[in-house]
Amino acid sequence: MKNKIRINPILKKEMVVGSRSMKMSWAIMAVSAILTAIVVFTLLVSQLNVASGATYDYSTLIVLFPVLGIAECIMLSLMVPVITSGSISGEREKQTLDIMLTTPISPFSIVLGKLMSAMMIVMMYMIASVPVMAITFVLGGLSWWNLIGLFIILIYLGIYVGSVGIFCSSVVKKSIAATILTIVIGLAIIIGTSLIYSVSITIMSMYYMTSGNMRPDSLLGPVVVFMFNPYSPIFDFMVRALSDSSIYDMVSSANINPVMGFLYRFWIPISMGINLLISFGFLKLAAARVGNVKTKKAGKVNNKAGNKAVQNTATTNNTVTENTDNQNN
Amino acid sequence: MLDISHLTKRYGKFLAVNDLNLHIDKGEIFGFVGPNGAGKTTTMKIVCGLLDATAGSVTVDGVDALKCSKDIKRKVGYVPDFFGVYDNLKTMEYMEFFGSMYGMGKEEVDAVADGLLELVNLSDKKDVFVDTLSRGMKQRLCVARALIHNPDLLVLDEPNSGLDPRARFEMKEVLKNLGSMGKTIIISSHILPELSEMCTSIGIMDRGHLVTAGHVDEIMNKSDGASKIHIQIVGMEDKDDIRTFMAEQPNVTKVNFTEDEVLVSFNGDEMAVANLLKNIIGRGIAVSGFYKEKENLESLFLEITGGNN
Ligand SMILES: Nc1ncnc2c1ncn2[C@@H]1O[C@H](COP(=O)(O)OP(=O)(O)OP(=O)(O)O)[C@@H](O)[C@H]1O
Ligand SMILES: [Mg+2]
Repeated sequence: MKNKIRINPILKKEMVVGSRSMKMSWAIMAVSAILTAIVVFTLLVSQLNVASGATYDYSTLIVLFPVLGIAECIMLSLMVPVITSGSISGEREKQTLDIMLTTPISPFSIVLGKLMSAMMIVMMYMIASVPVMAITFVLGGLSWWNLIGLFIILIYLGIYVGSVGIFCSSVVKKSIAATILTIVIGLAIIIGTSLIYSVSITIMSMYYMTSGNMRPDSLLGPVVVFMFNPYSPIFDFMVRALSDSSIYDMVSSANINPVMGFLYRFWIPISMGINLLISFGFLKLAAARVGNVKTKKAGKVNNKAGNKAVQNTATTNNTVTENTDNQNN
Repeated sequence: MLDISHLTKRYGKFLAVNDLNLHIDKGEIFGFVGPNGAGKTTTMKIVCGLLDATAGSVTVDGVDALKCSKDIKRKVGYVPDFFGVYDNLKTMEYMEFFGSMYGMGKEEVDAVADGLLELVNLSDKKDVFVDTLSRGMKQRLCVARALIHNPDLLVLDEPNSGLDPRARFEMKEVLKNLGSMGKTIIISSHILPELSEMCTSIGIMDRGHLVTAGHVDEIMNKSDGASKIHIQIVGMEDKDDIRTFMAEQPNVTKVNFTEDEVLVSFNGDEMAVANLLKNIIGRGIAVSGFYKEKENLESLFLEITGGNN
């Protein structure tokens, strides 16, 4: 039809609805308050530590950047599951999901609209945090590229957590349960990959230290696993921002094999790419759950109830009594 | 218009719709009647492409409904049996939201929505938040919404449920108007007398089977065989005696007692009814009231579905 680019209908609606609801404003205010508190606290503590008379070295405040950045990431990881928890189940409960499915809009567009709506809130949250973050730049002497980097990280993290959250909402009916499930899945992935990585690296380096022959390529497995950790690029980013080095330098300055060298060097784009693909997978799964008319079966319990109901009608049917007839008037 | 043939739907082992065959012509208002669990909602959802069928075929205007193509979605408008509305959304925005799902722009929706809101009597509620509308208004809003893309077939699942008599009346007027506009409409309902007033044809469904379907008059005629006669008797002391006597009368198939009257299932023409009255009075029973129940869908429905409601 027209060549005009259309905003996703769901995004448009959620923006109208969201602008009228105070809920998000409160959440953003709370988050900004927490960030401000961290800054104020750090400033107070660092000033106390300075011996009276000595000049205060503001450049130590550079630590505020990773602290605030990680705090922001963690708060985002807790906020987004709440935002997305009712995104699909809520529509399903209202049967508006059924209504949407009788329109030409595709299940994936529905899911995407929900993700974009969540991302709008993430953006608002990011913008609200700029003034507080700016302190670390002015005082700590960081470049603005780091702020842009942090924004990219937050958007990436929002997409990741949002996709998992929307998937959970398509699986679990209750909002609270979906929120918890999202956080549990997230934690399982983060902790799981970290454990595999650190334990295997420890074991292997101990083994190689005793045996003497270093075979760094045998570490490739755990390294690749750690790339699936959605927080690993954030970690690498913070290390790079603070020290002009990277995980690459931290892990080993020894000569490692070229594949691993490559992975470490481009950890941020590779890992982010992998995890965005995983997000896409979660969205696809959610869309499949939304649009699947075949799996819309209720559980076995329901089936049994249905069968029983039929048996009941069958028996009453055979013994139509005076009473049933009397009720008919 | 709508052709359903050999439609079967199983939920696991449970047979919800069993070999259903149905043809609905363009412009008809088809009333879908059946007790709870008959399979009405299931059938309607299949027609709207919300559920897949286990077997059989459904076509709307020759378009296969089971393929859930975009073509079919543009042809069908659906009002679910239960639905919620969004908080913080105004009536007009609600229409725009669903319009945009059909790729309609704001102006396009506004142009159509005015007329539709007028049709459902909500013109004065355009700037009202939808969650503050009464239930009847929400129901009518949902009908307007289902018409936003000008579908040929409108599927309404129990549009009258939970409405008070006034709201039902208004809904009925809306649907009658739609019918006169040439839309094909399927309505499921438990409120049978109302269906008979506004539908052109009726289908009665029970436990997955389409028991009977046809033009309203046809269906009503089918039931002519059995009617009910209410008899009020002064001093109904000896019920057994009266029962035996009534049961002996020709054409009487069943005798029941309610609190204050005798209810006789009767299987005969008008003359036979007159004879029955004559016999009763001849017996010396003090009859204070006697009337033949006007056959309506309700009793027909109960008769066909075996007295379960
Ligand atoms: N998702 C499902 N899973 C299993 N069984 C189902 C499911 N949906 C419906 N049923 C069963 O299918 C049968 C028909 O249900 P359906 O909702 O179509 O009936 P209905 O005629 O619309 O009833 P009502 O008048 O109560 O709305 C019922 O026995 C029901 O238990
Ligand atoms: Mg139903």
